[in-house]
Amino acid sequence: MHLKPAERDPASQPRFYSALLALFILWPLFQAAEVSPGALFDPSNLKVIGSFLSGFLPPERGSEFLGYLGKATLETLAIATAGMALAGLLALPLAYLASAAGREKPTLNPLIRSLLTILRGVPELVWALVFVRVFGLGPAAGVLALGLTYGGMLAKVYAEILESVDAAPARALRLNGASRPLAILYGVIPQVSKELASYTVYRWECAVRASVVMGFVGAGGLGQLMDQAMKMFNGGEAASILITFLLLVFVADLISSGLRRSLDQAPPPSAAPFGPGSTGLLAIFVAAVTASFWFLDIGFGALFTLESASSINQFIGSFFPPDLSAAWLRKVAQGVWETLAISAVGTLFAALAGLLLAQARPRLLFNFIFNALRSVPELVWATITALSVGLGPFAGVLALALHTTGVLGRLYAEALDNAPAAPGRALRLSGVPSGLAFLYGTLPGAAPQLIAYTLYRWEMNIRMAAILGFVGAGGLGQLLYFELSLFHYAQASTVIIAMLLLSIAVDQTSAWLRRRMA
Amino acid sequence: MTCSIARRWALKGALACAFAATLGNLPAVAEDAVLRVSAIPDEAPTELQRKFAPLGKYLEAQTGMKVVFTPVSDYAAVVESLATKKIDLAWLGGFTFIQAKIRTNGTAIPIAQREEDAKFTSKFITADPAIKTLADLKGKTFAFGAPSSTSGSLMPRFFLQQAGLNPETDFKRVAFSGAHDATVAFVAAGKADAGVLNASVWDKLVEQKKVDTDKVHVFATTPPYFDYNWTVRGDLDPALIKKLTDAFLKLDPANPEHKEILGLQRAAKFIPTKKENYDGIEKAAHAAGLLK
Repeated sequence: MHLKPAERDPASQPRFYSALLALFILWPLFQAAEVSPGALFDPSNLKVIGSFLSGFLPPERGSEFLGYLGKATLETLAIATAGMALAGLLALPLAYLASAAGREKPTLNPLIRSLLTILRGVPELVWALVFVRVFGLGPAAGVLALGLTYGGMLAKVYAEILESVDAAPARALRLNGASRPLAILYGVIPQVSKELASYTVYRWECAVRASVVMGFVGAGGLGQLMDQAMKMFNGGEAASILITFLLLVFVADLISSGLRRSLDQAPPPSAAPFGPGSTGLLAIFVAAVTASFWFLDIGFGALFTLESASSINQFIGSFFPPDLSAAWLRKVAQGVWETLAISAVGTLFAALAGLLLAQARPRLLFNFIFNALRSVPELVWATITALSVGLGPFAGVLALALHTTGVLGRLYAEALDNAPAAPGRALRLSGVPSGLAFLYGTLPGAAPQLIAYTLYRWEMNIRMAAILGFVGAGGLGQLLYFELSLFHYAQASTVIIAMLLLSIAVDQTSAWLRRRMA
Repeated sequence: MTCSIARRWALKGALACAFAATLGNLPAVAEDAVLRVSAIPDEAPTELQRKFAPLGKYLEAQTGMKVVFTPVSDYAAVVESLATKKIDLAWLGGFTFIQAKIRTNGTAIPIAQREEDAKFTSKFITADPAIKTLADLKGKTFAFGAPSSTSGSLMPRFFLQQAGLNPETDFKRVAFSGAHDATVAFVAAGKADAGVLNASVWDKLVEQKKVDTDKVHVFATTPPYFDYNWTVRGDLDPALIKKLTDAFLKLDPANPEHKEILGLQRAAKFIPTKKENYDGIEKAAHAAGLLK
């Protein structure tokens, strides 16, 4: 199509060059991620995945297996609930210490803040892998791992929520002589209680998903069953576990959104602080936590003996000093590069797919697809993609892309719906084809938000990419698994530090990019 | 109204605290009359549990103790549990025994091994007709078992090195299936071009027709080496160690009840063993770079 100068995109030249530049930057990442779409259609790979998927039907329904499945499901729920209880316990004091709320001079407690960064920066699966060694196999490791990571996450978000509101009431209380805890309790919490509660419930839902994955390193629950079924290529069992898993996530989603909705409704005015509704909820909450700890039968008492303290001490001590020899650093650097590539390319693929599918109709069908995609954890996707394209980083890329497409597709669809409609409509009415009207009318309005979502997802994906290697999908994960298996703790320590630095670096880059784009 | 919600959540938090505190104070129940047993998960944990059941009953009768078997899915966790005294008796591979010996400062004691373990081998398998010798593995994807498996990782790695192959640089990609039966599944499904597993599990899978031998076949076997044993932690009561050792050595294939136990353990009979038997494995582990 030949365009008159007036009809040409005036920004076409800078756009063309920045696209070229992006390609130039991304090319080595594509190389490192070993992207080879051809592998998807390789006949021998198609046969492998075909015969595996055909084994999915019928799903396994043997009574012995269903027994295992039921127990694992309960275990997963209990790990998530107990882990969240622990995270809450950890988060309250940490958030109090880290937050600037209610302080006379706003200080950002750097010590606590960096502790929170470390707690969050190391993926929960890595904590689980480490705790499995100290506390033996079983749910205790999963509960503690969740407790630590989510404790760090909750504390950070709590601290920020506390800082985000009008500080005047708390300041007034402090000036009148109230202590800081009281000033926060009466000056800040009333403004943010809904937000705090809503975020906590949302995190519990995430914890259910995360606790499924814990099983991959031997911390019990559905993941352990899934790991075995996948390793043995038992399609029927894998299908049953997957169905259970989807149902579980769906129910957790339902409970979580129900609870959050009920927070939006103003309770009827009453003098008593506890109505029947909240008393019931409280009872259910306490019962759920109690039942979880009882079901998991964790001997926390045994963790606090002198003997275990010394063994933990010794264990932690064996991680220091990390192995910083040139040869090992080179190997870790290679893993870091591969991990970075997997996360970036996987996120990019998901962003493209999400953008394409976000506008697809019928919306209900695609919402269902998005939900299904994001319900399956990346690690489970990776076991499947490793079959369809072979072991290696490309399997990791696809696994990340599939899960993230589910997440981003949903978010993109909402963002595009909320974008100003007028420019697109105006273009269409003046005879512009709908594709161009979308590109030049609708998309620019939603772009900042789309980019923010994508970058935020990239931050999560870098943590995921670091552990995909546990199932043979490249990156730092396999290195860590191998070294931990052999008790090479000094080497494992270097890998964990590399993971931490990588996730911090990606966080910073993403924050910087978001600021630039905003 | 927001205030009452705040109070609600504050109270909930307080209750959760109180509850967790009571939990923390519960005493750890440590029964003295319990023998805690585990095994490295070289096969699916459910299979291990099935195999152990009759042996567990037999050990209960012989020692007068309650025997509790904990199935696990991580090799290193068994070693660590033995070192931190969370288990008393463990079925270990040659390499995991060396790891346990090091982590218990030499106190772990191997008490018995199967007759077969004195001359154990590993089988290299493939479904690719083009792979005929170890040298053909160059540029292929290869599946080991667990990284700390003797017959699925250490000894094959050692013998590959002796054949001039370095897994890290000569293979296209190295995978760890985690268990011997999973390695067969990896190779049969084409997830890996070739793999290696312990001869005993291979023979069992062939006998039970769980592997299609027209498709997957053995193309190389390692020289023999010492493998598996039953190990106790060194600070166990010597009288109990003696009882356990005798219990294993007493198992007699002529006795039908014992024959079932031996059959499940895939043992002709159990024989005494000693630490020195595993010195060769320790040297191989150093040579293969798995021990530093």
